[in-house]
Amino acid sequence: MAAPRLSGTQCIAMDSNSQSNYKLSKTEKKFLRKQIKARHTLLRHEGIETVSYATQSLVVANGGLGNGVSRNQLLPVLEKYGLVDALLMPPHKPYSFVRYRTAEEAKKAYVTLNGKEIVDDLGQKILLYLNFVEKAQWKELGLQALPPGLMVVEEIISSEDEKMLLESINWTEDIDNQNVQKYLKHRRVKHFGYEFHYENNNVDKDMPLPGGLPGICDSFLEKWLKEGFIKHKPDQLTVNQYEPGHGIPAHIDTHSAFEDEIVSLSLGSEIVMDFKHPDGVTVPVMLPRRSLLVMTGESRYLWMHGITPRKFDTVQASKGLQSGIITSDVGDLTLSKRGMRTSFTFRKVRQTPCNCSYPLVCDSQMKETPPSFPESAREASQLEQDYVHRVYEEIAEHFSSTRHTPWPRVVEFLKSLPCGSLVADVGCGNGKYLGVNKELYMIGCDRSQKLVDICRERCFQALVCDALAVPLCSGSCDACISIAVIHHFSTAERRVAALQELVRLLRPGGQALVYVWAMEQEYNKKKSKYLRENRISQGKEEGTSSDTAMPELLVEQVPNVGSRDSECCVSSVTDLPEGGHKARTVTNAKLPVHTNRTSFPSQDLLVPWHHQGNPGEGKPGHPAGAHDPGPVFHRYYHVFCEGELEATCQTLNSVSILQSYYDQGNWCVILQKV
Amino acid sequence: MKLLTHNLLSSHVRGVGPRGFPLRLQATEVRINPVEFNPDFVARMIPKVEWAALLEAAETLHLVEVPKGPIEGYEHDEKFLRQMHHVLLEVDVLEGTLQCPESGRLFPISRGIPNMLLSDEETET
Repeated sequence: MAAPRLSGTQCIAMDSNSQSNYKLSKTEKKFLRKQIKARHTLLRHEGIETVSYATQSLVVANGGLGNGVSRNQLLPVLEKYGLVDALLMPPHKPYSFVRYRTAEEAKKAYVTLNGKEIVDDLGQKILLYLNFVEKAQWKELGLQALPPGLMVVEEIISSEDEKMLLESINWTEDIDNQNVQKYLKHRRVKHFGYEFHYENNNVDKDMPLPGGLPGICDSFLEKWLKEGFIKHKPDQLTVNQYEPGHGIPAHIDTHSAFEDEIVSLSLGSEIVMDFKHPDGVTVPVMLPRRSLLVMTGESRYLWMHGITPRKFDTVQASKGLQSGIITSDVGDLTLSKRGMRTSFTFRKVRQTPCNCSYPLVCDSQMKETPPSFPESAREASQLEQDYVHRVYEEIAEHFSSTRHTPWPRVVEFLKSLPCGSLVADVGCGNGKYLGVNKELYMIGCDRSQKLVDICRERCFQALVCDALAVPLCSGSCDACISIAVIHHFSTAERRVAALQELVRLLRPGGQALVYVWAMEQEYNKKKSKYLRENRISQGKEEGTSSDTAMPELLVEQVPNVGSRDSECCVSSVTDLPEGGHKARTVTNAKLPVHTNRTSFPSQDLLVPWHHQGNPGEGKPGHPAGAHDPGPVFHRYYHVFCEGELEATCQTLNSVSILQSYYDQGNWCVILQKV
Repeated sequence: MKLLTHNLLSSHVRGVGPRGFPLRLQATEVRINPVEFNPDFVARMIPKVEWAALLEAAETLHLVEVPKGPIEGYEHDEKFLRQMHHVLLEVDVLEGTLQCPESGRLFPISRGIPNMLLSDEETET
């Protein structure tokens, strides 16, 4: 059911399964993207499952106590659309739930309020995003984890040593310090070993500072090396002094400047440091006095860290000044006045480019010219050659070793076919499905010679060909499968052509099963690996200089740095040749590289594959290793959003859709040739 | 490549259409692979077979005892089914070529795998 359309500045809330060929304006598409993103964030980090049909209950993203919206601001707005049974505003959350007396009233609110601006208690304008839910439910804070790779070692030095280290710093000595001060509003710094340049956040590797690290640090570093707190001897030291009210904006230490391990010794006062994940989750971590903060892997490369400029930190009363995460347990929080804190941050300067698993936030890897979104069939073919075919040829064996478990629902499809059925597996890979049902005659086709070789080794019938030109007679197959293949085609036209080819192979009444990667990962109730913290940040922004924390929204209103918003799935439907619309022109749009353990930045992207690194690396949602030394290959994907595969199939000739479902991070259809 | 597979293959060189079937087979290395006999399975294949193409391929490979077509009551004729089982499923072409009858384009068979990839020019629409 499509929502009624409204004119004016209000955005349109469209059912994402709408089959209308109505062409959306840019604002409408942008709004839809934001709405979908809100849905994903809610599901992924808060465990809130939204539904696409109208119910009495709605979740109001960006309308929560946690982002500065109060009950007496929100309730009158909601009451305009119907009788409000209940308005639930969970403490510290950037969302709330409203239950109307009837679904009709909820629908009215959904249609009208989506994308609507309201004003929070600081007078700031924010946009609300609404989605239907079955009921008002959110995961209470369960077991929380530090960002992967992070460790805090308490009481690593004695009080005497702390005093000695503090006294050893001579703040007044050099002129250079004054030069540096102009970059730093809030704090004093000194560098040893290498000069850190704030203009480009990098070190000058050719100009080491004379003197190296201060002598007194040697004994500590040796001790920490021996005891295994650190693995490498650092050659750069930055001493930071923070007076109460000082902070440092959230940042990731430049990849190309420093190696993996970064350690920071806290002296003089404890402090709370915030770690922020690109998906928007924030983890506040207490750093006690005389503790050593060790950042490696994901916590070093992917999470930003920063210190909010303020005079008091919110801490957990029960834990005193112990290290650990500050939870949102309302009953246990108290304030801790900051003292003067000095940090000694030790790092090792990097001499080779960074090749971490987080290319989206890596300055070394982002320097390579990324490929662009193709604008012609030739470019599409070339893109696929470089970022699909060539890659599979290189990774075939490794890839095959990670693809051994057939997915149950695909097996179910194959086992449901009658004995003696002729079945084509288009994009058969290593032949995972070719032997599942011995009563079938299956022929596998794949573009990769090496993968077909593996099929042959297993005594399956397979041939090398392109999915757009399968060399089997029309109407010769009783059934076809194409599992995780069509998402490698880089234009809508080619994806349709691939589906059309499957249909061509089928005899009348024959069925095809198609699986493609979903944009929406983690659709099930799996516990989120990230914290479901109350504050979801605004992305890569500089820290504020005010004493109050900025209200932080569920959905950012500034575009993500480094992500290229590609057009929403709804627009791709209208761009199909069948619809008679001109193909959209996306001039010069670069393809973003996906960073594992984050949500997809756009529908068209490159996904890294770590050769000989972690075997499970190829799929989203798989845990990334802390440090992958092997070569990285990028594979092109167009991930499908909900309804897109179905809509694409609906444009095909002589086809009816028997089933459409979600399975293990994929959107799936079963088609029948009529 | 089994002969049942060959029976389904068609050239997809641009413009060729249904005249791309059947592909002319030339074999330099053939092997016989025993396969477990499943009469029900073979019986269900029979209606799907293109006989002329099968016979042509069998002729090229100098196979003997190849039925010329389905006989009456073939579903229960074990001798017939066994012969068909052998021809369709046990003869494996390891090295050779497949030729498009219309365009003459040659596709190699290597280690039992036909490579049917066309170049960009051949597929351009």
